[in-house]
Amino acid sequence: MAPSQVISVPKTDPGAYNPNRPAGKLLLAQTAHLREALIKHLHEMAGVLAINIRSLKTEGDVSAYVEKVTKVLHPHGVKPSGK
Amino acid sequence: MSKGLDSLQHIVVLMMENRSFDHMLGGLSLVSENGKKKYPKINGLTGTESNPDTKGAIVKVQPNAQFQSQLDPDPDHHFPGVDLQIFGGQQGDGRVANMQGFVKDYFTQTNDVARSHNIMSYFTPDKLPVLTTLATEFAVFNGWFSSIPGPTICNRAFAHYGTSFGQVGMDIFYILDPIPSVYERMIQAGHTAKIYYYDQQSSTMEIVNLLKSQPQIFATYDQFIGDCKAGTLPEYSFIEPCYNDHPGVDGGQILASDQHPDHNVREGERFIANTFNAIRTNQDLWNSTALLVVYDEHGGIYDHVVPPACTSDGYSAKASDTGTGVPFNFDRLGIRVPAILVSPWIPRGTVVPGTEDPANAQIFEHASIPGTVTNFFLRGDAKRTVREQRARNFLHLLTDTVRSDDDCVVFGNLS
Repeated sequence: MAPSQVISVPKTDPGAYNPNRPAGKLLLAQTAHLREALIKHLHEMAGVLAINIRSLKTEGDVSAYVEKVTKVLHPHGVKPSGK
Repeated sequence: MSKGLDSLQHIVVLMMENRSFDHMLGGLSLVSENGKKKYPKINGLTGTESNPDTKGAIVKVQPNAQFQSQLDPDPDHHFPGVDLQIFGGQQGDGRVANMQGFVKDYFTQTNDVARSHNIMSYFTPDKLPVLTTLATEFAVFNGWFSSIPGPTICNRAFAHYGTSFGQVGMDIFYILDPIPSVYERMIQAGHTAKIYYYDQQSSTMEIVNLLKSQPQIFATYDQFIGDCKAGTLPEYSFIEPCYNDHPGVDGGQILASDQHPDHNVREGERFIANTFNAIRTNQDLWNSTALLVVYDEHGGIYDHVVPPACTSDGYSAKASDTGTGVPFNFDRLGIRVPAILVSPWIPRGTVVPGTEDPANAQIFEHASIPGTVTNFFLRGDAKRTVREQRARNFLHLLTDTVRSDDDCVVFGNLS
């Protein structure tokens, strides 16, 4: 890479770090949103736990159940398209 | 289509927190060189702008903004407070926006007349070498406004959906209407998109409707840096800064870098520089990426430009939700924020005119973000609001000429 003009960025003041700063409205709202998402997540998990696995009879029943559990345990999984 | 657009493969948006245009960039208009204004096209401050305080004294803008401790308590930026800031306390149908209520509103937070004057502070450009360098080296927008005269969550929703679905505040809401986020649109069409939050202790502000429902679109800032190095950046990336001070995994100190008052502004400068450098130092990525640095809203801090009217997104917030006693039909933008577009395909010193130049004004707001991304990558093919469809796109600023490598800055002293 050819030489470019380098702009020096000043360091942040050493005393800036303060994890004891009172949390503002935005951060408190963030916690409320996170809790809501967690509650929604737990309700979904409770719904999956409520399924009686002895009621599963067919491969279709099992695959639907396995998908629900896998989504909880591995939410980043990708669903492939069918044939 | 310009050669710059032909080369474009990635759009990256870095959204910072709660600073107005005049507070961060307004001082550029006061810089002189050889007896002339150095940046005459930038619609910043003249130095004579003022607001009355609660005692009736006139308070001029002041070049004394500090990196921290000056705007504590946090200035009001909820809907009724911003209404006071814009209209100066006028009520009724015939009122005219005058941007005269900032000091009065900050007094409601401080209960201290002298401290209420701090809301008129602005940074001299030497204090913000990163933001002012990017603004003067690439393209700065004179007319980029927050989408709603209100706080963070609803404004950020516009950046993701092109609407806040009728929300004007910070409340939890669920999306019932069939308007997908820009990330869903991209992924469903076979494209790539990610939201990079700083780390798990900072997380994201896009929680209930995105983190919960679409965790696959999220990654951390470390992964953004890695993706830049490896050349594996998605077509569209949205970056969230660190929102709180917290210990690092190795016992070190992680500072909030979002610049939300009262977080350290200089740490945000370093974060912006780090993000720029991550793109800048990969030559292929640099030549094929447009980086937008923008703030979600003004944070209650003074700006002199009256927010213009806009196309409604079809929603209406009830009087009980706005807190002003009257409903809001999403037909007026929020207060102006800093916005800078970075690319080697943009000529140095580009200034995009705003309301100061009515004949040539180009007005942007956060619906311009999903609007631009959707139009560029998906040719506009997505269910979206009229507001987003009409929002101005920003990629026309990329020209046919790429600047040489030694004609573009890089930031140093970041380790």
